[in-house]
Amino acid sequence: MTPLLDIANLSVVFRGENEERPLLDGITVGLGRGEILGLVGESGSGKSLLCRAVMGLLPSRRLHVTGGTVRLQGQDILNADMGAIRGRRIGMIFQNPTSHLDPVMTVGRQICEGLGQHRGLSGPAARAEAVDLLGQVGFPDPAAAFSSHAHRFSGGMRQRAMIAIALACEPEILIADEPTTALDVTIQAQILRLLMELRDRRGLSIILITHDLGVVAQTCDRIAVMRRGQLVEVGEKRALLAAPAHPYTRQLVASHPSLSHAGDPPRHDGDGAQPLFDVRGLEVAFPLGGGFLRPKRMLRALKGVSLSVRPGETVGIVGESGSGKSTLARTIMGLTRATGGDVVFAGRSLMSERAAAMKALRSDVAMVFQDPFNSLNPRMTVGQTLAEVLRNQGETPRDGIPARIGELLDMVGLERDLADRRPRSLSGGQCQRAGIARALAVNPSVIVADECVAALDVTIQAQIVALFRELAERQGLTLLFIAHDLAIVRNLCERVVVMHHGEIIEDGPSTEVFARPTRAYTAALIAAIPDIDPDRPLGRGETNDNREELAT
Amino acid sequence: MHRYRFILLRPLQLVPVLFGISIITFVLVRLIPGDPARVLLGTRATPSAIANIRAQYGLDDPIWVQYLYFLKNLGAGEMGKSVVYKIDVLRLIATRIEPTLALVVAGVVLTLVIAVPFAALSARRQGRAADHAVRIVSTAGLGFPAFWLGMMLILLFSVRLDWLPVAGYGESFSERLQHMILPGLTIALSLSAIITRSLRAGMIAGLSSDVATAARARGMPENVVFWRHVVPNAVVPTVNLLAVNIGWLIGGTVVVESVFAVPGLGQLMVRAIFSRDYMVVQGVALAFALATVLTNFLADILTVALDPRVEM
Repeated sequence: MTPLLDIANLSVVFRGENEERPLLDGITVGLGRGEILGLVGESGSGKSLLCRAVMGLLPSRRLHVTGGTVRLQGQDILNADMGAIRGRRIGMIFQNPTSHLDPVMTVGRQICEGLGQHRGLSGPAARAEAVDLLGQVGFPDPAAAFSSHAHRFSGGMRQRAMIAIALACEPEILIADEPTTALDVTIQAQILRLLMELRDRRGLSIILITHDLGVVAQTCDRIAVMRRGQLVEVGEKRALLAAPAHPYTRQLVASHPSLSHAGDPPRHDGDGAQPLFDVRGLEVAFPLGGGFLRPKRMLRALKGVSLSVRPGETVGIVGESGSGKSTLARTIMGLTRATGGDVVFAGRSLMSERAAAMKALRSDVAMVFQDPFNSLNPRMTVGQTLAEVLRNQGETPRDGIPARIGELLDMVGLERDLADRRPRSLSGGQCQRAGIARALAVNPSVIVADECVAALDVTIQAQIVALFRELAERQGLTLLFIAHDLAIVRNLCERVVVMHHGEIIEDGPSTEVFARPTRAYTAALIAAIPDIDPDRPLGRGETNDNREELAT
Repeated sequence: MHRYRFILLRPLQLVPVLFGISIITFVLVRLIPGDPARVLLGTRATPSAIANIRAQYGLDDPIWVQYLYFLKNLGAGEMGKSVVYKIDVLRLIATRIEPTLALVVAGVVLTLVIAVPFAALSARRQGRAADHAVRIVSTAGLGFPAFWLGMMLILLFSVRLDWLPVAGYGESFSERLQHMILPGLTIALSLSAIITRSLRAGMIAGLSSDVATAARARGMPENVVFWRHVVPNAVVPTVNLLAVNIGWLIGGTVVVESVFAVPGLGQLMVRAIFSRDYMVVQGVALAFALATVLTNFLADILTVALDPRVEM
């Protein structure tokens, strides 16, 4: 049987002023009816570009298809009129529903647009069909959703709206470009389930682009692995995961946090020691809106959080977006003012002796940020950045600075000659290492890392996590590791703190919490992590709150 | 409908703003050199007559007492009498509002008529000949001063072609409409240069935005993508730019009104300044300020109506 969609030898190049770079190099892959094909690869591997090329929506005029064919049921569509194919036969949903939904048009009108264009429906008939579709993708009150704008919904509901808009055109194929990357794990599980349901109900064929092997393992039938514009391996899911043939696939599989058992997290004995951080009943509230002649409302980001961290501990703070984990980190660092409670660092209270506590914090605690590019000064080389910190700190004699920079770069596994480079000419992983080197430059006893691997590819993630493990083990560093990814925390931290709605709802040794969570919310979070083992079912992703959102 | 609640609240918030404006106009007018009493009585007035007048008008009181009198009179709808026209300032302003308003409306309408199609043409052919032409013309539009442009338009359309009246305001509605075309065009030619640039930039960003990509991916024809998704999103920031410029325009109609002899507020202001008619200067300045505040208020309402995300 010929596949529904047949891509053969597809090549795309970038043509600049006087250079020509291949971006896709002879890709051959097929998609059968009712099949879910997982397209996996790291950023820049060309997986999104491949789908854009199929849709005839290359993102720049400098990109050209130079060879190959794309056939839809035997018909060549590369040179066909795409108006009748886009949306109608091949639909597409995107990573960031917020930016892809028209902010000034109601969700309903965006659905009706497709209904009118491709199915000739208008007026009440279109409206009825649109409301029905919104119900199908899981809106509890489809009629209300019809006349709402996208910004009224949460990220997960926005993605559902995008799916409804795509389904309105009744496509045979749906291309889903990282549809869950921007979502919390529990919401991710719900959206993935919805996609699988739609496949079963409508016989939809799906190309699912993702960087997460766990996601494909849970949802796809076949997997295609891309790297640097080439398809390195394609095959049936189980066979491919069980025995990856290409070395790159093997590396990807090994890097997946749910699999990489690099041994238990580092342990130490510090039971008797004085706590390094003592957080007592911490409250942080932000003013929300309000203004002249209008009452201010307050958003309580932290509601009485108490936490004590002993020297040398590795603590993972996990929670979904909006749970208050970053606020906790920023408040501990003195970057955000608490509205109640206290943080005591090394015996000094941030409330009553702020100046002294801040001084101690600045010299002993360093922070690593989420975005490796934007947290480094783009005009300074890595060496200049490090030298600045060393000069400010003043412990290293002036002529010892170059040697110290070399040491720091060694410590984070960067080659010494990268000191002369600026962030722009470094990869994401190299930038994050430079960020860590900057944090280490002050000889801190504590590192607070806020989502510092979230923006990195899995293989790089694994390297950074290994680096942190090594630093914690060798230098007895105390680590506060904030992440939404529970699997990484399980590998790195001996203790895990689960936050939810500004409160700590669970706090205990990682092995304990992951094996026997005491709260339903924690259990739902853990169950929703896409496991790389295809036979372990994906959790429903339902927690008490999002059940509420789906029900009201 | 709580997004529109600010329409009720905003006038309250405007009270302190108006207070500030009244203080500034009051003080500024008093900074003008010269004694109002002397102006009132002429150069040959006796010192005792001047003293009498000063006492009568409260000019000997401290300035804050004078301000309180000013406020009290303002509350009673009195802004004093014009020395030149011998009538109440408020009534004088009322007769001059209509031509200025007509001029501003004509200017803005013509601006949109010019700016929207040109911005669209330019954005959709970015980097090609049409785009370059629009950009050169709009840069040139910014460079021509209004008085020169106005005179050139009169020379071409009124003197050479005899299509439109040279100047004045006219009696009937249709006459007035004809009289507003050239002054409106004068305003529009420079204002549309600014608006075209802003719209063009918004449209170009919109054409490569995710919203446009998503619309194309569901098979929408390029025209639909542009007019239904790109344009509505590009218009939102331009509304505020237009409001700022209208505010500036209201105070700046002086030049255009002089060139075309339109009996509006700008012309009144210029004459009042030259004849030291302080009460009129003060009243017109207050009217200009109020109009600017109101324009911004209207722009805010329009923004809320155009962009469902905005809350005031």
